[in-house]
Parts: sequence; C-alpha cells; structure tokens
Amino acid sequence: MRHHAPAMATVEIRELSKRFGKVDAVRHLSFDVQAGRVTGFLGPNGAGKSTTLRALLGLIRPTAGTATFDGKRYEELEHPSAAVGAVLEDASFHPGRSARNHLRVLATTGRHPASRVDEVLSAVGLGDAADRRVKGYSMGMKQRLGIAAALLGDPEVLLLDEPTNGLDPPGIAWMRGMVREQAAQGRAVLISSHLLAEVSQSVDDVVVIANGELRAQGTLDAVLGGDDAPETEVSSEDQDTLAAALTAAGATVQRDRDKLLVPGMTPAQVGAIAAKAQVTVLGLAPRARSLEQAFMALTAERRS
Amino acid sequence: MSALLQAELLKLRTTRTFAALIGSATVVSLLVLVLGTTLSDFETEEDVRAAFAGDFTGLFILLLGAMGMAGEWRHKTITSTILAAPDRLRLLVAKAVSYAMAGVVVSFVITAALMIVGTVILSSRDQVTLDSATLLDIMWRNLVVSAYLGALGVLIGTIVRSQVVAIVGILIFAFVVEFTLFGLVPDVAKFSPLNGAPGGVIDVSFDGDQTDLLAPGIAALVMLGWVSTLFAAGAALLRGRDLT
Ligand SMILES: Nc1ncnc2c1ncn2[C@@H]1O[C@H](COP(=O)(O)OP(=O)(O)OP(=O)(O)O)[C@@H](O)[C@H]1O
Ligand SMILES: [Mg+2]
Repeated sequence: MRHHAPAMATVEIRELSKRFGKVDAVRHLSFDVQAGRVTGFLGPNGAGKSTTLRALLGLIRPTAGTATFDGKRYEELEHPSAAVGAVLEDASFHPGRSARNHLRVLATTGRHPASRVDEVLSAVGLGDAADRRVKGYSMGMKQRLGIAAALLGDPEVLLLDEPTNGLDPPGIAWMRGMVREQAAQGRAVLISSHLLAEVSQSVDDVVVIANGELRAQGTLDAVLGGDDAPETEVSSEDQDTLAAALTAAGATVQRDRDKLLVPGMTPAQVGAIAAKAQVTVLGLAPRARSLEQAFMALTAERRS
Repeated sequence: MSALLQAELLKLRTTRTFAALIGSATVVSLLVLVLGTTLSDFETEEDVRAAFAGDFTGLFILLLGAMGMAGEWRHKTITSTILAAPDRLRLLVAKAVSYAMAGVVVSFVITAALMIVGTVILSSRDQVTLDSATLLDIMWRNLVVSAYLGALGVLIGTIVRSQVVAIVGILIFAFVVEFTLFGLVPDVAKFSPLNGAPGGVIDVSFDGDQTDLLAPGIAALVMLGWVSTLFAAGAALLRGRDLT
C-alpha cells in the first residue's frame, strides 16, 4: 500500500445547492474533507447526504455551487477510479454476474491490474463467494462487494454512503477498522450516516446537516462533545442533608432514584459543599450530555 | 476508448443474456430456413437471397442492444458504470460500438450457418443455389446491417430506459408501424429504420417488391442518418440526466 503525503483539503464542497422540482435537497452547503482523517457526514433521513455525495461524483448536476477533488470536478479527473472510490446507498450489480466478473469489468474500465480483483475480494472477505452469481448474495455480501469495487483503484478519497447498511456486528466492526486504516494511510474518508452511534467511534471530524443546510462542522468533540453547562451526579450517605446544602448554595437539585443531579455545578463544587455539610460522598461524577442528545439538538427542526 | 470497449464486451460475455439471445436467434433463424427451403420452391436467386437475409437475426441483435442498455437502468448498474466512465458521451459510443461488434459476430455465425444448411438442403432438392461470390456479397451486407441494428438497439435503450417498453415498442414499430407504412406509402417506408433502409442494403424487400427498395449506398446513408439522430437524442438525454 502506498502512503500518501498529507495534502490540504482534498474534497471541497462550496456553496453547493441542489433543487429537485420544489424540494431544496441541499442549500448553500460548504465543507471540506481532509486527507488522513475520517469525516462523518451526519444528518437525519432526507437531510441531503446522498444528494451531496452524488453531486460530488458528477451523478447529479448541482443547481449552484461546486464540489471538487483537489480543485477538479469528478468528470475532470484523469483517472477517476484511482482518485475516488465510492459506495453509494443502493449499490447494485447485475444479478447474473459473479462478483469476480463485476470487478473484472471495473478493473478493465479503470485499467487496473487484474490481480487487484483478487486482492480486494479477499480484503472484503468475499474470496470464497467470488464466483457465485450476485443474485444469491445477502445484503451484507452485496455491501462488501460495493466496498471492494470502491477499493479497486486504491483511491485517495473514499466516499461511503451509509456503508454499514445490512452489515452484521462483525461486519460493522470490520468496516470501522477498514475506515480507520484507510485514513491512517493518508486517505480522505467521508462516511455518511443518520446514526451518530454508528460512526462516533471511527470519525475524527463531523459535518452535520439537516434540511439540506449545514448545522455544524469540526472535530467530533468540538461539535458534539463540547458542553458549556456542567452537570454533576452525586450519591452520598445522607442525600437529604446534601440536597438541602446544595439548594442553600443556590443549586437546583433533581433526584434521579438514589442519585442527585446537580445542573450548573462541577463535581469539585459539589464535593466542596458536601464536605462543608459533613456528608460522606459515595459517588461523584460529571454527567456528559450524550452525543446522541447533542446530535438531536443540532438537527432538530428549526422554527422561525 | 479501447479500455471502455473491452469492458463493455466483457460485460456482454459475463451474463447469460447474450448466450441466450444468440442461441434463440440461431434456433429460430435455422428453423425458419429449414422449413422454407424444404417446403417451398426456390426458382430465382432472389428467393435464395431472401432466405439468407437473416431478418430474425437482425431483430434479435436489435433487442439485444436495447435490453443491454435499458438493463443498466433496470439493474441500477448505470450508476456504477458512469462512475467508472464519467464521460457519458464516450460511454455511449463505447456501448453502441460494442453492441455493433457483437451484432457482427452473431450475424456472421448465424448467416454462415444459414448458408451452409440452406445450400445443402436446396442442392439436395435440385433447387437454385448461389455461387460463393454471391454468398460473400450477402454476408457483408448482413454484417453491415447487424452492426447498425446493434448500435441502434443501444440508442433506443438509452432513450427508453425500460426493457419492456423497448421490446414492445420495437416489435410494434417493426411489425405494425413499418408494415402499415409499406402498404400505404412505400416511398416513405423505404426510408424506415428497422425494415426500410436495412432492406435497401441487404437488397431484399420487406414485402418482396423490389421497387420499394433504396439503392444500397443511399440506404447506408439513411441508416447513418438514423444512428446519428438517435445518438444525438440519446446523448442529450444521458448527459442531462440526474442519477439519483
Ligand atoms: N430524484 C429526486 N427527486 C425529488 N426529490 C429528491 C430526489 N432525490 C432526493 N430528493 C429529496 O431530496 C432530499 C434529500 O434527499 P437525500 O437522499 O439526499 O437525503 P439523505 O440525507 O441521503 O437521507 P437518508 O438518510 O434517508 O438516506 C429529500 O427531501 C428527498 O426527498
Ligand atoms: Mg441517503
């Protein structure tokens, strides 16, 4: 495998808009995907993720704006399959053709050595099924074949639209590892999902869209982890006394079964108050707002 | 272009459609020939030419091209095809040329079979047979028409995008529309794309009336006109289309 020199922004989306009839699928969307990093492209159903990826790949014509790889549109790339590998949502194959023959056709078009076919087939774990007709493949096997096709040209950029669809838990774990490995080798990886939990373990950056518009972008922590308002969870030998002390200190205390929730205070502040009230603390921890909650908040309908 | 062309030919060879269509075309063509040469009398060279003209082969090749291209939409492989070859114009040329080449191969095999079987049957019945120069003349005319029909099928498939509509449309056009046209206005019908102009090149008339035919050279030009027109239409549609 070749190692890629870290480049600047590999993929650039600038002011991209796409309108289907009356539907504004994507509106003035701008973001970058960096080489050597995995970027999660997140948004609820119908947010415009697939539309953006298809515009990037020249499959649909943007109403306005540009989507380029190192400044070139996909159609302008000299050797597209060596530059960009893509797995789209409904990866489809001729049912009567075997996986190997499907990849042979793509290798012929892209002028890749025939040996690549076997390499990618075994890389995705389809070596044994390679000569069976795709008609008999399970959804996960088709997904793996789509990934094999994307990897065929050893591309610098990988675009994956909901690639874990149809994969079993080992398949999902394999996918995460594959994505991390590709980024570690210097490739730019953009992976879309409507489920944050599916990608939160494998992405460095996130781009969040909803209703065709950018909602946030940056590192995973900065976008979804950053929580200005602390919240502390505490349990003690005498919850009533502690609750009274905290309330006296100006906190609004909520009871959550045997624990107290103290919004607006850090564990250090809560600990100090407990000490002053001479209550033995059994457990004390910051409560992180879950990533999923932050994601939901970001993508929630905006009412103006 | 050659890589694209190779890939398209590989696609053709790696599904059963191609083999099934060639098989059916061979069987049907031979059946019709054997019945005809066994049962009816062949008194003129024209009769024999008509028997070797390979009408059914042409129809199968046309359907093969149309189904091959419309199948890209049916199986949703068009996305992966265009990702591999983003220049849609070049892709369409490669498709059309590959099916034209397939048409030539199929036509060569079937015409040769028809000529051998037909000549054996006719000579055993002491009917008129053709000399090898005439057979060669028929052969190349068949090959030209088959190449044309292969490409035309691809272009029809590009425009129609549905296998069923393409097949039904082609059959109706060939057997109802053009047939009616030959009955009503033969001067217009001889320019028609499926029977008229190809009949001029093959020099065999749809209804046996030689006066209805264009001269081979003119007919070839008319065929070029049809291919160019459908290519322009297909290319415009293919390039403008959003693949979602
Ligand atoms: N060909 C089309 N014609 C009309 N509207 C379309 C078309 N394709 C997409 N849309 C609309 O554009 C919007 C964005 O769709 P898109 O498929 O990009 O969403 P997505 O983020 O990929 O959603 P999902 O998570 O469900 O895959 C939706 O409102 C959808 O209905
Ligand atoms: Mg989608």
